Amino acid sequence: MSRDAGGAPGAHGYRRGPMRTDGWLAALAAELHRHGLGSDLTGHVVAEAAAHLRDSGESPLAAFGPPDTYAAAVAASVGGPAPAPRGRVVGPVRLAARGITKRYRRRTVLADVDLTVRAGEVAAIIGANGSGKSTLLRICAGLARPDRGTVRIDGRLGYCPQDGGVSDFLTADEHFVLIGAGRGLDRSAARRAGLGDAAALDWAPKPGVQARHLSGGTRQKLNLALARLGTPDVLLLDEPYQGFDRGSYLDFWHQVWRWRDGGTAIVVVTHLLNQLDRVDTVLDLTRAEAAA
Amino acid sequence: MTKTLVVAEMAVREMARRRVVLIILLLLPLAFYLSRRGDQLGQSIRFVCLGLGWALSTAALFAGSAARTIEPRLRLSGYSARHLIAGRLAALWAVGVLLSAPYFLLVRLDQHDVRYGAIAAIMALTVLVSASFGLALSVVLPRELEGTLVLLAVVGLQMMLDPDDTSARVLPFWFSRELATYAVDHTGGGYLDRGLLHGVLAVAVLTALVAVAFRVRQGRRPHLRFEPLR
Repeated sequence: MSRDAGGAPGAHGYRRGPMRTDGWLAALAAELHRHGLGSDLTGHVVAEAAAHLRDSGESPLAAFGPPDTYAAAVAASVGGPAPAPRGRVVGPVRLAARGITKRYRRRTVLADVDLTVRAGEVAAIIGANGSGKSTLLRICAGLARPDRGTVRIDGRLGYCPQDGGVSDFLTADEHFVLIGAGRGLDRSAARRAGLGDAAALDWAPKPGVQARHLSGGTRQKLNLALARLGTPDVLLLDEPYQGFDRGSYLDFWHQVWRWRDGGTAIVVVTHLLNQLDRVDTVLDLTRAEAAA
Repeated sequence: MTKTLVVAEMAVREMARRRVVLIILLLLPLAFYLSRRGDQLGQSIRFVCLGLGWALSTAALFAGSAARTIEPRLRLSGYSARHLIAGRLAALWAVGVLLSAPYFLLVRLDQHDVRYGAIAAIMALTVLVSASFGLALSVVLPRELEGTLVLLAVVGLQMMLDPDDTSARVLPFWFSRELATYAVDHTGGGYLDRGLLHGVLAVAVLTALVAVAFRVRQGRRPHLRFEPLR
């Protein structure tokens, strides 16, 4: 999927004519896909639009407007993204956190928190600022120590922090090699895997560009791609979409569904609730904090 | 071994991209050397070695501090403390040799009637000690400014204290004074022996401190276990 194809075209971007119309229809299909519409529905909408343009002879911009705007309207009218496939089989437990309690001085941030995530499941951790979402994730990653409780993990762990996690003076390619070597990947395999995940997030790293020159959102894409290197069994994502534009945000969730369908156990810290109907488990730390 | 080499390669790449810092590091010992060249040639050798120690320790401090943000990720990716420490030390040693080589040539061409082998030994030990000293500061002190101030104090004291004073001997670069005296004043082998012993001990103690402080900072995580779940 190409951001350029889906972005708002200029005033003369999609004029009348078979090539212009085809480009507009392709961009529409990409945007509908990005909004989570299934293949059948996307094909139907595109076919309907193509038929209308053919019959009316209008330019696509005049008839429907920019493809991203039209796709957003269609997605809203059909009620949002496609539901998760029925009968999806989840696998064994990959992460089991039990009785996690954490205090900072006299303040209890986490009180007896449990979390279980199976292979092929997505768990969302939600809660107000300061409710301990990131702390819980850091405890699960072994980067912080709880006052009480245990975390057991079956398989390899990937972690994407909220910020940081990259080296300012290294390029994306060098990051892939560095993290990949830790995972046991050779240089070419690490580069291939990293570039593949970057492409899935609609980002093609330019050679020679150091991380300090990347925008905030692009740094987070690098962070996500690094977390995915070596195809971990458990993926811990701490609000990884910071700085993403809307399209990248949708791309991110599509990737999450794909990784989940591939059998990864995923935990996402989030404060954005509009995707919660599609996750398998929601752990609300606001309630836990209030109960404590 | 591959992991250590990759860490070393990336650390060298990172340092090589801080061009302004590298230029300042390269010129700092020259300023030290020229400051005493006019009157006391022997002192200029002692000063250039201390300048090298200061410059390389600062480079190590900043390299260690800059690596803090990516360290958790490296640990989760399969790197051990041994990989990270050995890789960074190797990178700093390589940069140190590159920075020291022009100064050895300078002394070789500019100074006569000195023991060049001893001067090479000072510079080699300075590279080894500085890398461990700067890394140790970066691990023990959380912020660069604090590390820089400690570094400034240590090198300043090393310059001002009487080398015969006991307190001067616990400072990491005391060996350079002893070896420089042997090299410049053609003293007996006692200076050489004491200097070499102090230098080797300084490297060993500081490297051990890096390893211990690194493990303490990373901390034990007994709550986390990787095991099959049913």
